[in-house]
Amino acid sequence: MTIKRITFIQELLKFIGLEGRLHLEWISSAEAQKYVQVVTDFTEKIRKMGPNPLRADSILEGEIIL
Amino acid sequence: MDCKFVPSVCSYCGTGCGVLFEVIDGKINSTLPLKSYPVNQGKLCIKGWNLHEYINSFMRLKTPLIKEDGKFQKATWDEAIDHCAANFQKNKQDFGPDSIGVLVSAKITNEENYLAQKFTRAVIGTNNVDHCARL
Amino acid sequence: MNIIHQVEQLITQDKVDIFLGYKELDGHLIPHGFTRDNLDELKELQTGENRYSLEKIATHLTEKHPDIRIGIIARDCNQRSLNLLYTWNQLNPDQIETVNVNCCPSPLKLHGDCSYLEPKQTGAFKKEHGIDFNIDPDVLVDSYDNNERFSRWMYEFSKCIKCYGCRNICPVCFCTECSLEHASLIEPGTLPADIPIFHLVRATHMAGRCIDCGLCEDACPSHIPLRLLYREVNEIVSSVFDYRPGDGMEKSPFTIIGDKVVLEPKPMDFQVEGEK
Repeated sequence: MTIKRITFIQELLKFIGLEGRLHLEWISSAEAQKYVQVVTDFTEKIRKMGPNPLRADSILEGEIIL
Repeated sequence: MDCKFVPSVCSYCGTGCGVLFEVIDGKINSTLPLKSYPVNQGKLCIKGWNLHEYINSFMRLKTPLIKEDGKFQKATWDEAIDHCAANFQKNKQDFGPDSIGVLVSAKITNEENYLAQKFTRAVIGTNNVDHCARL
Repeated sequence: MNIIHQVEQLITQDKVDIFLGYKELDGHLIPHGFTRDNLDELKELQTGENRYSLEKIATHLTEKHPDIRIGIIARDCNQRSLNLLYTWNQLNPDQIETVNVNCCPSPLKLHGDCSYLEPKQTGAFKKEHGIDFNIDPDVLVDSYDNNERFSRWMYEFSKCIKCYGCRNICPVCFCTECSLEHASLIEPGTLPADIPIFHLVRATHMAGRCIDCGLCEDACPSHIPLRLLYREVNEIVSSVFDYRPGDGMEKSPFTIIGDKVVLEPKPMDFQVEGEK
Protein backbone atom coordinates (compact mmCIF):
# COMPACT_ATOMS: atom_id res chain seq x y z
CA MET A 1 0.00 0.00 0.00
CA THR A 2 2.86 2.37 0.84
CA ILE A 3 4.49 1.96 -2.50
CA LYS A 4 1.16 2.47 -4.27
CA ARG A 5 0.62 5.78 -2.54
CA ILE A 6 4.21 6.98 -2.88
CA THR A 7 4.33 6.18 -6.58
CA PHE A 8 1.09 8.04 -7.09
CA ILE A 9 2.25 11.11 -5.16
CA GLN A 10 5.58 11.17 -6.98
CA GLU A 11 3.73 11.34 -10.30
CA LEU A 12 1.34 13.99 -9.00
CA LEU A 13 4.18 16.19 -7.71
CA LYS A 14 5.87 15.84 -11.08
CA PHE A 15 2.75 17.21 -12.74
CA ILE A 16 2.64 20.20 -10.40
CA GLY A 17 6.33 20.92 -10.92
CA LEU A 18 7.88 19.71 -7.65
CA GLU A 19 9.54 16.65 -9.12
CA GLY A 20 12.18 14.62 -7.39
CA ARG A 21 11.72 15.78 -3.80
CA LEU A 22 10.14 12.56 -2.51
CA HIS A 23 11.97 9.25 -2.38
CA LEU A 24 11.15 5.81 -1.03
CA GLU A 25 13.71 3.20 0.00
CA TRP A 26 13.28 -0.14 1.79
CA ILE A 27 16.02 -0.46 4.44
CA SER A 28 16.17 -2.88 7.34
CA SER A 29 17.47 -1.75 10.73
CA ALA A 30 20.49 -3.99 10.29
CA GLU A 31 21.70 -2.26 7.11
CA ALA A 32 23.38 0.71 8.72
CA GLN A 33 25.84 1.36 5.91
CA LYS A 34 23.13 1.51 3.28
CA TYR A 35 21.13 3.94 5.44
CA VAL A 36 24.07 6.33 5.72
CA GLN A 37 24.69 6.15 1.99
CA VAL A 38 21.06 6.85 1.07
CA VAL A 39 20.76 9.81 3.44
CA THR A 40 23.98 11.41 2.22
CA ASP A 41 23.09 10.97 -1.44
CA PHE A 42 19.59 12.36 -1.03
CA THR A 43 20.82 15.35 0.96
CA GLU A 44 23.30 16.14 -1.81
CA LYS A 45 20.60 15.83 -4.45
CA ILE A 46 18.23 18.17 -2.61
CA ARG A 47 21.01 20.65 -2.01
CA LYS A 48 21.72 20.73 -5.72
CA MET A 49 18.04 21.21 -6.50
CA GLY A 50 17.83 24.30 -4.38
CA PRO A 51 15.34 25.39 -1.72
CA ASN A 52 11.71 24.42 -1.81
CA PRO A 53 9.76 27.14 -3.61
CA LEU A 54 7.16 27.13 -0.82
CA ARG A 55 7.38 27.64 2.93
CA ALA A 56 9.35 24.87 4.58
CA ASP A 57 6.43 23.36 6.49
CA SER A 58 4.06 23.12 3.54
CA ILE A 59 5.21 20.22 1.40
CA LEU A 60 6.51 16.85 2.49
CA GLU A 61 10.23 16.91 1.88
CA GLY A 62 12.63 14.11 2.58
CA GLU A 63 12.48 10.37 2.57
CA ILE A 64 10.46 7.64 4.18
CA ILE A 65 12.46 4.72 5.60
CA LEU A 66 11.11 1.38 6.69
CA MET B 1 -41.79 10.99 1.19
CA ASP B 2 -41.17 13.51 -1.51
CA CYS B 3 -38.30 15.49 -2.86
CA LYS B 4 -38.51 18.82 -4.60
CA PHE B 5 -36.25 21.74 -5.35
CA VAL B 6 -37.08 25.34 -4.62
CA PRO B 7 -35.14 28.15 -6.30
CA SER B 8 -34.39 31.20 -4.20
CA VAL B 9 -31.90 34.01 -3.69
CA CYS B 10 -29.05 33.93 -1.17
CA SER B 11 -29.82 36.12 1.85
CA TYR B 12 -26.27 37.10 2.74
CA CYS B 13 -24.49 39.84 0.81
CA GLY B 14 -25.85 42.28 -1.73
CA THR B 15 -24.83 40.23 -4.79
CA GLY B 16 -27.88 37.98 -4.66
CA CYS B 17 -26.69 34.66 -6.11
CA GLY B 18 -29.36 32.16 -7.15
CA VAL B 19 -29.57 29.07 -4.95
CA LEU B 20 -31.58 25.88 -5.12
CA PHE B 21 -32.84 24.34 -1.89
CA GLU B 22 -33.20 20.59 -1.75
CA VAL B 23 -36.40 19.93 0.23
CA ILE B 24 -36.94 16.35 1.38
CA ASP B 25 -40.19 15.62 3.24
CA GLY B 26 -40.83 19.30 3.74
CA LYS B 27 -37.48 20.06 5.38
CA ILE B 28 -34.52 21.80 3.78
CA ASN B 29 -31.68 19.34 3.48
CA SER B 30 -28.94 21.00 1.46
CA THR B 31 -28.15 23.91 -0.84
CA LEU B 32 -27.07 23.85 -4.46
CA PRO B 33 -26.24 26.70 -6.83
CA LEU B 34 -28.75 27.56 -9.54
CA LYS B 35 -26.83 26.89 -12.74
CA SER B 36 -28.91 28.94 -15.14
CA TYR B 37 -28.98 32.09 -13.02
CA PRO B 38 -27.05 34.88 -14.77
CA VAL B 39 -25.64 36.53 -11.63
CA ASN B 40 -23.61 33.61 -10.32
CA GLN B 41 -23.69 31.12 -13.24
CA GLY B 42 -23.71 28.06 -11.05
CA LYS B 43 -21.08 29.14 -8.49
CA LEU B 44 -21.47 30.01 -4.81
CA CYS B 45 -19.28 31.27 -2.01
CA ILE B 46 -18.95 29.40 1.26
CA LYS B 47 -21.75 31.40 2.91
CA GLY B 48 -24.11 30.48 0.11
CA TRP B 49 -23.25 26.78 0.29
CA ASN B 50 -24.30 26.68 3.96
CA LEU B 51 -27.62 28.54 3.86
CA HIS B 52 -29.46 25.41 4.96
CA GLU B 53 -27.59 25.33 8.27
CA TYR B 54 -29.03 28.45 9.83
CA ILE B 55 -32.61 27.99 8.65
CA ASN B 56 -33.32 25.07 10.96
CA SER B 57 -30.75 25.91 13.62
CA PHE B 58 -31.69 25.46 17.27
CA MET B 59 -29.86 28.71 18.02
CA ARG B 60 -32.43 30.92 16.29
CA LEU B 61 -34.22 33.40 18.55
CA LYS B 62 -37.92 32.83 19.15
CA THR B 63 -38.78 35.81 21.37
CA PRO B 64 -37.20 39.21 21.96
CA LEU B 65 -34.72 39.26 24.85
CA ILE B 66 -33.95 42.12 27.25
CA LYS B 67 -30.80 42.20 29.38
CA GLU B 68 -31.57 42.66 33.07
CA ASP B 69 -28.84 42.33 35.70
CA GLY B 70 -26.43 40.98 33.15
CA LYS B 71 -28.70 38.12 32.01
CA PHE B 72 -31.04 37.94 29.06
CA GLN B 73 -34.72 37.58 29.97
CA LYS B 74 -37.55 36.70 27.58
CA ALA B 75 -39.87 39.60 26.75
CA THR B 76 -42.74 40.47 24.45
CA TRP B 77 -42.44 42.67 21.37
CA ASP B 78 -44.18 45.60 23.08
CA GLU B 79 -41.84 45.47 26.08
CA ALA B 80 -38.80 45.34 23.86
CA ILE B 81 -39.87 48.25 21.67
CA ASP B 82 -40.76 50.39 24.70
CA HIS B 83 -37.41 49.59 26.29
CA CYS B 84 -35.50 50.59 23.11
CA ALA B 85 -37.49 53.80 22.60
CA ALA B 86 -36.99 54.87 26.22
CA ASN B 87 -33.23 54.29 26.00
CA PHE B 88 -32.93 56.15 22.67
CA GLN B 89 -34.73 59.17 24.14
CA LYS B 90 -32.68 59.13 27.33
CA ASN B 91 -29.39 58.98 25.39
CA LYS B 92 -30.50 61.71 23.03
CA GLN B 93 -31.41 63.97 25.95
CA ASP B 94 -28.30 63.28 28.03
CA PHE B 95 -25.59 63.15 25.37
CA GLY B 96 -27.08 64.75 22.27
CA PRO B 97 -28.30 63.14 19.05
CA ASP B 98 -24.79 62.51 17.71
CA SER B 99 -24.17 59.89 20.39
CA ILE B 100 -26.37 57.41 18.50
CA GLY B 101 -25.24 55.54 15.39
CA VAL B 102 -27.14 53.15 13.10
CA LEU B 103 -25.73 50.34 10.94
CA VAL B 104 -27.84 48.97 8.08
CA SER B 105 -27.09 45.79 6.16
CA ALA B 106 -27.58 43.92 2.89
CA LYS B 107 -29.57 41.23 4.62
CA ILE B 108 -32.65 43.48 4.88
CA THR B 109 -34.61 44.92 1.98
CA ASN B 110 -33.94 48.26 0.29
CA GLU B 111 -37.17 49.65 1.71
CA GLU B 112 -36.15 48.73 5.25
CA ASN B 113 -32.75 50.33 4.67
CA TYR B 114 -34.45 53.53 3.54
CA LEU B 115 -36.65 53.49 6.62
CA ALA B 116 -33.67 53.04 8.90
CA GLN B 117 -31.72 55.97 7.48
CA LYS B 118 -34.83 58.18 7.50
CA PHE B 119 -35.37 57.30 11.15
CA THR B 120 -31.76 58.18 11.95
CA ARG B 121 -31.72 61.46 10.09
CA ALA B 122 -35.24 62.79 10.74
CA VAL B 123 -36.23 61.30 14.09
CA ILE B 124 -32.96 60.98 15.98
CA GLY B 125 -31.39 63.89 14.20
CA THR B 126 -27.90 62.63 13.39
CA ASN B 127 -26.10 61.60 10.21
CA ASN B 128 -24.23 58.69 11.84
CA VAL B 129 -25.65 56.03 9.54
CA ASP B 130 -23.52 53.54 7.61
CA HIS B 131 -23.74 50.20 5.80
CA CYS B 132 -22.06 46.94 6.77
CA ALA B 133 -20.60 46.51 3.30
CA ARG B 134 -18.58 49.71 3.64
CA LEU B 135 -16.72 48.34 6.63
CA MET C 1 -40.21 12.46 -26.33
CA ASN C 2 -40.52 8.90 -25.23
CA ILE C 3 -38.82 9.44 -21.89
CA ILE C 4 -42.07 10.58 -20.29
CA HIS C 5 -43.73 7.36 -21.31
CA GLN C 6 -40.87 5.26 -19.92
CA VAL C 7 -40.90 7.14 -16.62
CA GLU C 8 -44.66 6.88 -16.33
CA GLN C 9 -44.45 3.15 -16.77
CA LEU C 10 -41.72 2.84 -14.14
CA ILE C 11 -43.82 4.72 -11.59
CA THR C 12 -47.23 3.22 -12.30
CA GLN C 13 -45.86 -0.33 -12.47
CA ASP C 14 -44.42 0.25 -9.00
CA LYS C 15 -40.81 -0.39 -10.02
CA VAL C 16 -39.65 2.85 -8.35
CA ASP C 17 -40.98 4.97 -5.51
CA ILE C 18 -39.58 8.24 -6.79
CA PHE C 19 -38.03 9.32 -10.06
CA LEU C 20 -35.40 12.09 -10.18
CA GLY C 21 -35.58 14.09 -13.36
CA TYR C 22 -35.67 17.71 -14.45
CA LYS C 23 -38.48 20.14 -15.01
CA GLU C 24 -38.67 23.75 -15.97
CA LEU C 25 -39.66 26.48 -13.53
CA ASP C 26 -39.70 30.14 -14.56
CA GLY C 27 -37.17 29.50 -17.30
CA HIS C 28 -34.77 27.51 -15.12
CA LEU C 29 -34.25 23.80 -15.55
CA ILE C 30 -34.16 22.33 -12.05
CA PRO C 31 -34.22 18.78 -10.71
CA HIS C 32 -37.49 17.40 -9.42
CA GLY C 33 -38.68 14.22 -7.79
CA PHE C 34 -41.68 12.69 -9.55
CA THR C 35 -43.81 10.31 -7.49
CA ARG C 36 -47.12 8.55 -7.80
CA ASP C 37 -48.87 11.45 -6.05
CA ASN C 38 -47.99 14.03 -8.67
CA LEU C 39 -48.16 12.04 -11.89
CA ASP C 40 -49.69 14.94 -13.78
CA GLU C 41 -46.46 16.87 -13.38
CA LEU C 42 -44.76 14.28 -15.53
CA LYS C 43 -45.63 16.07 -18.73
CA GLU C 44 -43.21 18.81 -17.68
CA LEU C 45 -40.24 16.41 -17.59
CA GLN C 46 -37.47 17.49 -19.92
CA THR C 47 -33.72 17.48 -20.23
CA GLY C 48 -31.42 20.30 -21.20
CA GLU C 49 -27.90 21.57 -20.94
CA ASN C 50 -27.71 22.13 -17.21
CA ARG C 51 -26.43 19.16 -15.30
CA TYR C 52 -26.94 18.61 -11.60
CA SER C 53 -25.50 15.79 -9.61
CA LEU C 54 -28.60 13.62 -9.21
CA GLU C 55 -26.61 10.77 -7.65
CA LYS C 56 -25.76 12.90 -4.66
CA ILE C 57 -29.45 13.63 -4.18
CA ALA C 58 -30.11 9.89 -4.40
CA THR C 59 -27.60 9.28 -1.60
CA HIS C 60 -29.35 11.91 0.55
CA LEU C 61 -32.70 10.21 -0.05
CA THR C 62 -31.25 6.81 0.77
CA GLU C 63 -29.87 8.17 4.02
CA LYS C 64 -33.33 9.18 5.16
CA HIS C 65 -35.28 6.22 3.75
CA PRO C 66 -32.94 3.26 3.38
CA ASP C 67 -35.38 1.06 1.46
CA ILE C 68 -36.48 3.56 -1.12
CA ARG C 69 -36.28 2.66 -4.79
CA ILE C 70 -35.12 5.51 -6.99
CA GLY C 71 -35.19 6.11 -10.72
CA ILE C 72 -32.65 8.44 -12.25
CA ILE C 73 -32.03 10.14 -15.57
CA ALA C 74 -28.54 9.00 -16.50
CA ARG C 75 -26.08 10.49 -18.94
CA ASP C 76 -22.73 8.76 -19.38
CA CYS C 77 -21.15 10.60 -16.48
CA ASN C 78 -24.10 9.81 -14.20
CA GLN C 79 -23.78 6.15 -15.10
CA ARG C 80 -20.09 6.16 -14.19
CA SER C 81 -20.72 7.81 -10.85
CA LEU C 82 -23.53 5.35 -10.08
CA ASN C 83 -21.14 2.46 -10.78
CA LEU C 84 -18.58 4.00 -8.48
CA LEU C 85 -21.10 4.59 -5.68
CA TYR C 86 -22.16 0.94 -5.95
CA THR C 87 -18.52 -0.09 -5.47
CA TRP C 88 -18.21 2.06 -2.38
CA ASN C 89 -21.47 0.74 -0.91
CA GLN C 90 -23.23 4.07 -0.94
CA LEU C 91 -26.09 2.93 -3.13
CA ASN C 92 -27.64 -0.46 -3.74
CA PRO C 93 -27.84 -1.40 -7.43
CA ASP C 94 -31.08 -3.31 -6.84
CA GLN C 95 -32.77 -0.12 -5.73
CA ILE C 96 -31.79 2.08 -8.65
CA GLU C 97 -33.31 2.15 -12.13
CA THR C 98 -31.78 4.33 -14.82
CA VAL C 99 -33.28 5.90 -17.90
CA ASN C 100 -30.50 6.79 -20.29
CA VAL C 101 -30.26 10.03 -22.19
CA ASN C 102 -27.43 10.51 -24.60
CA CYS C 103 -24.74 13.11 -24.30
CA CYS C 104 -23.81 13.81 -27.89
CA PRO C 105 -26.40 14.67 -30.52
CA SER C 106 -27.12 12.03 -33.09
CA PRO C 107 -29.86 11.43 -35.63
CA LEU C 108 -30.77 8.26 -33.77
CA LYS C 109 -31.81 10.13 -30.64
CA LEU C 110 -33.05 13.65 -30.91
CA HIS C 111 -31.70 15.45 -27.89
CA GLY C 112 -28.04 15.74 -26.92
CA ASP C 113 -27.42 17.74 -23.80
CA CYS C 114 -24.30 18.60 -21.93
CA SER C 115 -22.82 21.86 -20.79
CA TYR C 116 -19.45 20.65 -22.09
CA LEU C 117 -20.56 20.14 -25.70
CA GLU C 118 -18.54 23.23 -26.53
CA PRO C 119 -15.13 23.46 -24.86
CA LYS C 120 -14.59 26.18 -22.28
CA GLN C 121 -13.01 29.41 -23.43
CA THR C 122 -9.67 30.42 -21.92
CA GLY C 123 -8.74 34.09 -21.96
CA ALA C 124 -5.41 35.53 -23.05
CA PHE C 125 -4.15 36.50 -19.58
CA LYS C 126 -4.87 33.05 -18.23
CA LYS C 127 -2.98 31.46 -21.11
CA GLU C 128 0.01 33.64 -20.40
CA HIS C 129 0.19 33.30 -16.62
CA GLY C 130 -1.86 30.24 -15.76
CA ILE C 131 -3.07 26.99 -17.23
CA ASP C 132 -5.35 26.61 -20.25
CA PHE C 133 -8.60 24.74 -19.53
CA ASN C 134 -8.41 22.56 -22.61
CA ILE C 135 -4.75 21.65 -22.70
CA ASP C 136 -3.73 18.00 -22.79
CA PRO C 137 -1.82 16.94 -19.62
CA ASP C 138 1.11 15.45 -21.58
CA VAL C 139 1.45 18.62 -23.61
CA LEU C 140 1.52 20.58 -20.37
CA VAL C 141 4.39 18.53 -18.98
CA ASP C 142 6.33 18.86 -22.23
CA SER C 143 5.87 22.53 -22.91
CA TYR C 144 7.09 23.96 -19.61
CA ASP C 145 9.94 23.02 -17.28
CA ASN C 146 9.50 22.36 -13.55
CA ASN C 147 9.74 25.91 -12.24
CA GLU C 148 7.51 27.37 -14.92
CA ARG C 149 4.86 24.73 -14.41
CA PHE C 150 4.99 25.25 -10.66
CA SER C 151 4.56 29.00 -10.86
CA ARG C 152 1.64 28.59 -13.27
CA TRP C 153 -0.14 26.16 -10.99
CA MET C 154 0.54 28.42 -8.00
CA TYR C 155 -1.01 31.32 -9.90
CA GLU C 156 -4.13 29.24 -10.42
CA PHE C 157 -4.33 27.92 -6.86
CA SER C 158 -3.73 31.29 -5.25
CA LYS C 159 -7.13 32.44 -6.52
CA CYS C 160 -8.89 29.83 -4.38
CA ILE C 161 -11.36 31.28 -1.84
CA LYS C 162 -11.91 27.96 -0.05
CA CYS C 163 -15.63 27.89 -0.78
CA TYR C 164 -15.61 24.05 -0.72
CA GLY C 165 -17.78 24.14 -3.84
CA CYS C 166 -15.70 21.50 -5.57
CA ARG C 167 -16.19 19.13 -2.67
CA ASN C 168 -19.86 19.92 -2.05
CA ILE C 169 -20.97 19.29 -5.61
CA CYS C 170 -18.76 16.29 -6.37
CA PRO C 171 -21.02 13.23 -6.83
CA VAL C 172 -18.45 10.82 -5.37
CA CYS C 173 -17.48 12.84 -2.30
CA PHE C 174 -19.45 11.33 0.56
CA CYS C 175 -17.19 11.32 3.64
CA THR C 176 -19.02 12.47 6.74
CA GLU C 177 -15.79 13.79 8.23
CA CYS C 178 -13.92 15.51 5.46
CA SER C 179 -10.18 15.75 5.94
CA LEU C 180 -10.24 19.15 4.27
CA GLU C 181 -11.97 20.45 7.37
CA HIS C 182 -9.53 18.84 9.76
CA ALA C 183 -7.88 21.58 11.79
CA SER C 184 -4.39 20.13 11.92
CA LEU C 185 -4.18 19.52 8.17
CA ILE C 186 -5.70 22.69 6.78
CA GLU C 187 -5.49 25.65 9.08
CA PRO C 188 -9.02 27.03 9.52
CA GLY C 189 -9.83 30.67 9.24
CA THR C 190 -6.99 31.77 6.96
CA LEU C 191 -7.18 33.16 3.47
CA PRO C 192 -5.59 32.60 1.03
CA ALA C 193 -6.16 28.92 1.58
CA ASP C 194 -3.21 26.68 2.44
CA ILE C 195 -2.09 26.42 -1.17
CA PRO C 196 -1.22 24.06 -2.72
CA ILE C 197 -1.88 21.65 0.16
CA PHE C 198 -5.63 22.06 -0.08
CA HIS C 199 -5.77 21.14 -3.75
CA LEU C 200 -3.16 18.42 -3.56
CA VAL C 201 -4.98 16.76 -0.65
CA ARG C 202 -8.19 16.85 -2.64
CA ALA C 203 -6.42 15.51 -5.73
CA THR C 204 -4.97 12.62 -3.72
CA HIS C 205 -8.40 11.77 -2.40
CA MET C 206 -9.78 11.79 -5.92
CA ALA C 207 -7.39 9.02 -6.93
CA GLY C 208 -9.52 6.02 -7.78
CA ARG C 209 -12.73 8.04 -7.35
CA CYS C 210 -12.97 10.85 -9.86
CA ILE C 211 -15.23 9.98 -12.79
CA ASP C 212 -14.49 13.12 -14.80
CA CYS C 213 -17.90 14.75 -14.83
CA GLY C 214 -16.54 18.30 -14.71
CA LEU C 215 -19.01 19.63 -12.14
CA CYS C 216 -16.14 20.81 -9.91
CA GLU C 217 -14.77 23.10 -12.60
CA ASP C 218 -18.27 24.44 -13.23
CA ALA C 219 -18.71 25.21 -9.53
CA CYS C 220 -15.35 26.93 -8.95
CA PRO C 221 -15.86 30.70 -8.68
CA SER C 222 -12.17 31.32 -9.43
CA HIS C 223 -12.02 29.29 -12.66
CA ILE C 224 -9.29 26.95 -11.48
CA PRO C 225 -8.75 24.17 -14.08
CA LEU C 226 -9.73 21.40 -11.67
CA ARG C 227 -10.92 19.01 -14.35
CA LEU C 228 -7.46 19.08 -15.90
CA LEU C 229 -5.82 18.28 -12.57
CA TYR C 230 -8.14 15.38 -11.85
CA ARG C 231 -7.78 14.15 -15.44
CA GLU C 232 -4.06 13.87 -14.79
CA VAL C 233 -4.80 12.00 -11.55
CA ASN C 234 -6.97 9.57 -13.49
CA GLU C 235 -4.22 9.11 -16.06
CA ILE C 236 -1.70 8.26 -13.38
CA VAL C 237 -4.08 5.76 -11.80
CA SER C 238 -4.94 4.17 -15.13
CA SER C 239 -1.36 3.89 -16.33
CA VAL C 240 0.19 2.69 -13.05
CA PHE C 241 -2.66 0.55 -11.68
CA ASP C 242 -4.73 -0.07 -14.83
CA TYR C 243 -7.90 1.04 -13.02
CA ARG C 244 -10.55 3.29 -14.50
CA PRO C 245 -13.17 4.43 -11.94
CA GLY C 246 -16.74 3.84 -12.97
CA ASP C 247 -15.88 1.38 -15.74
CA GLY C 248 -16.94 -1.73 -13.91
CA MET C 249 -17.60 -2.92 -10.42
CA GLU C 250 -14.00 -3.42 -9.25
CA LYS C 251 -12.79 -1.77 -6.11
CA SER C 252 -10.19 0.97 -6.21
CA PRO C 253 -6.58 -0.23 -5.79
CA PHE C 254 -6.11 2.19 -2.89
CA THR C 255 -8.64 0.30 -0.82
CA ILE C 256 -7.11 -3.15 -1.17
CA ILE C 257 -4.42 -4.05 1.34
CA GLY C 258 -2.21 -7.09 1.11
CA ASP C 259 -2.37 -7.74 -2.62
CA LYS C 260 0.76 -8.49 -4.58
CA VAL C 261 2.18 -5.38 -6.20
CA VAL C 262 4.70 -5.33 -8.98
CA LEU C 263 5.83 -1.73 -8.50
CA GLU C 264 9.44 -0.95 -7.63
CA PRO C 265 10.70 2.15 -5.80
CA LYS C 266 12.32 4.52 -8.27
CA PRO C 267 16.12 4.87 -8.09
CA MET C 268 17.30 8.14 -6.61
CA ASP C 269 19.56 9.46 -9.32
CA PHE C 270 17.17 9.42 -12.26
CA GLN C 271 17.40 12.54 -14.38
CA VAL C 272 15.28 15.40 -13.09
CA GLU C 273 14.72 18.30 -15.47
CA GLY C 274 16.27 21.49 -14.23
CA GLU C 275 18.74 19.66 -11.99
CA LYS C 276 22.23 21.03 -12.24
